[in-house]
Amino acid sequence: MTSKTLGALIAALAVLAAGIAGEAQGPIRIGASLSLTGTYAKLGRNQHEGYKLCEKDLNAKGGLLGRKIEFVVYDDQSTPATAVRLYEKLITEDKVEGVMGPYSSPVTEASVNVTEKYKKVMVAPLAATTSIFKRPPDKKRHYVFMVISPAEVYLEGLIDTAAKRGLKTVAVVNEDTLFSKAAASGAVELAKKRGMQVIFQEAYPKGNADFSALLTKVKSLNPDVIAAATYFDDAVALTRQMRELDVNPKAYGVTVGGDLPEFYDTLKTNADFIYGATQWEHVLPYPGNTEFFEAYRKEFGHEPSYHSAAGYAGCLIYTEAVKRAGSLDADRVREQLFKLEMRTVFGEYKVDQDGFQVAHKMVTFQWQEGKKVVVWPDELAQGKPRFPTPPWNQR
Amino acid sequence: MNVFVTPAMLGQVVISGILSGALYAMVALGLALIFGVMRIINVAHGPLLMLGAYATFFLYSALGINPYLTVPVSMLVLFAVGVLLERTLVFRVVDAPELSSLLLTFGISIALVNLAQLLFTSDLRSVEYLTGSWVVGPLALSKARVVAFTVASALTGLSFLFLQRTRLGKAIRATSQNREVAMVCGIDVQRIHLVTFGLSAALAGAGGALIAVIVAIQPEMGQIWTFKSFLVIVLGGAGNYPGALLGGVLLGLIEQLASLFLTTQLSEVVAYVLLVLILLVRPQGLLGGRQT
Repeated sequence: MTSKTLGALIAALAVLAAGIAGEAQGPIRIGASLSLTGTYAKLGRNQHEGYKLCEKDLNAKGGLLGRKIEFVVYDDQSTPATAVRLYEKLITEDKVEGVMGPYSSPVTEASVNVTEKYKKVMVAPLAATTSIFKRPPDKKRHYVFMVISPAEVYLEGLIDTAAKRGLKTVAVVNEDTLFSKAAASGAVELAKKRGMQVIFQEAYPKGNADFSALLTKVKSLNPDVIAAATYFDDAVALTRQMRELDVNPKAYGVTVGGDLPEFYDTLKTNADFIYGATQWEHVLPYPGNTEFFEAYRKEFGHEPSYHSAAGYAGCLIYTEAVKRAGSLDADRVREQLFKLEMRTVFGEYKVDQDGFQVAHKMVTFQWQEGKKVVVWPDELAQGKPRFPTPPWNQR
Repeated sequence: MNVFVTPAMLGQVVISGILSGALYAMVALGLALIFGVMRIINVAHGPLLMLGAYATFFLYSALGINPYLTVPVSMLVLFAVGVLLERTLVFRVVDAPELSSLLLTFGISIALVNLAQLLFTSDLRSVEYLTGSWVVGPLALSKARVVAFTVASALTGLSFLFLQRTRLGKAIRATSQNREVAMVCGIDVQRIHLVTFGLSAALAGAGGALIAVIVAIQPEMGQIWTFKSFLVIVLGGAGNYPGALLGGVLLGLIEQLASLFLTTQLSEVVAYVLLVLILLVRPQGLLGGRQT
């Protein structure tokens, strides 16, 4: 090969490389599988809207690394197996440059195996199950990061509120799924730690609509507190049947679903006095929270839920880490995510060496005449809990 | 954690079991009818029930109609849907191997659920109408469930009367017993199939209307009812109509009692273990199959 042809070849390669680089200057595509239909659709869609608003806001401020960002989202129909397939597709076929987490713990748990396999960083904004992050030494995960508080502390506010008021006995019920089980076992631990007695604990299958036998047993034990680790349907069914069977705890709290406006729309005044746990409320004094609330309402025509805010914040956290890393390289972004301490519309972000969330705070509210009033923790509380919950026949 | 079961608790749970059992029986009767007459396992039965629930929801929320008065409307709507499905799709697989009908109704089921997701969105809806309970001594009777029980029992009773007494009902039973002979006797079997499918869908619609007041309404609420109905007709004997009644009440009781004495989580397991046992030991069902 003469030096002339070599020169030409190098020139040609340079042109080719420039061409590839030029092509890469399109938007940064971030892939995610979300539950847009199916059981978790309501919540998954809010998360999706969080991502969309983040995309819009970020692009309005000049994008990321000088490029626009663009979400590529598919619907996993709330099933983990579908999500696994979709992340495979996003990474291998669509060749997205970054990924963001799906909705719910079970779906994240399944999807993470794919992103770990391809060494992709996944900020998982709506996965609250500890076991996704805290792993045995031989099964460690390296690229997954938690945003919300773990399932185990969802019922902490209820238990703490009850313990402070001298309540002694607790019944814990939960749906038999990853998140709910963790929330229930967390409640049991917390109650024991506070010197309370857990007199009943039972799980029920997903989709269960008849709680009469379970509540008949609970009623016979007459617990001071009923802590229910639920999603939406079961929280509604449980509450309706508690009234029907006249089960009267002094405090009753649910986990997910209880914070949706539909919860009150469905149960009306029967929802009053019920405690719920939430990761976020728009009234909380976090930076940019009010602006986020207004912008979201304007954009989508309804109020954001915590799923929306977590999705939005998760996207901000991921892109902030990319910005600090100056690259989309998984290992460099990962390093930044470990170091990052950030306060977003969603509150604090800081993870330990397992990517497990340690800074974000969970709040407990109580439905009071159709309004959610934050009653716990004290430093964020808007009002006092109405305690004790009156019996159904005195309402 | 040990719960001491008192007679009052047992009574409460037995009543809950019977209340939901009547509903199971009515919905499963629809499935049994189709299976008996057309030899088709209609996997789309649950999604048809879901449509009935939505019919009630929209009539209640848009027009403010008492949800119990919407039961006949839901039934009519679903009768029409059933007839339409039979005329366009299902009649093609009546004599085909059972796998074809299973695949077809499975497809219909997926299509209905996804259509509902598109048209109605997957937002959780609910009909907040009759809440609370009637207290009788130590027992609390959920108002919504008692009414559902009453209506379901009445409709099941009417269906039996229809099958026993009317010419059309007798023709349906005749077709179920032996299609060729029925045809020879001058029964229009095509029409019988149409009516049967419509009636079955109408029963699912009634079920949907009744449970709309009890649980949250969403496009995927139906599938579990397909399984339950299937369980009921296997328990009672496939194609045996009184068997559906027995199977329904039995399933309601099994679920509740297992939930009381074991755990709620295990109640489903118990029901399905029973299904397997019956299929092994007495595959014709408790009352035997295909007697009408």
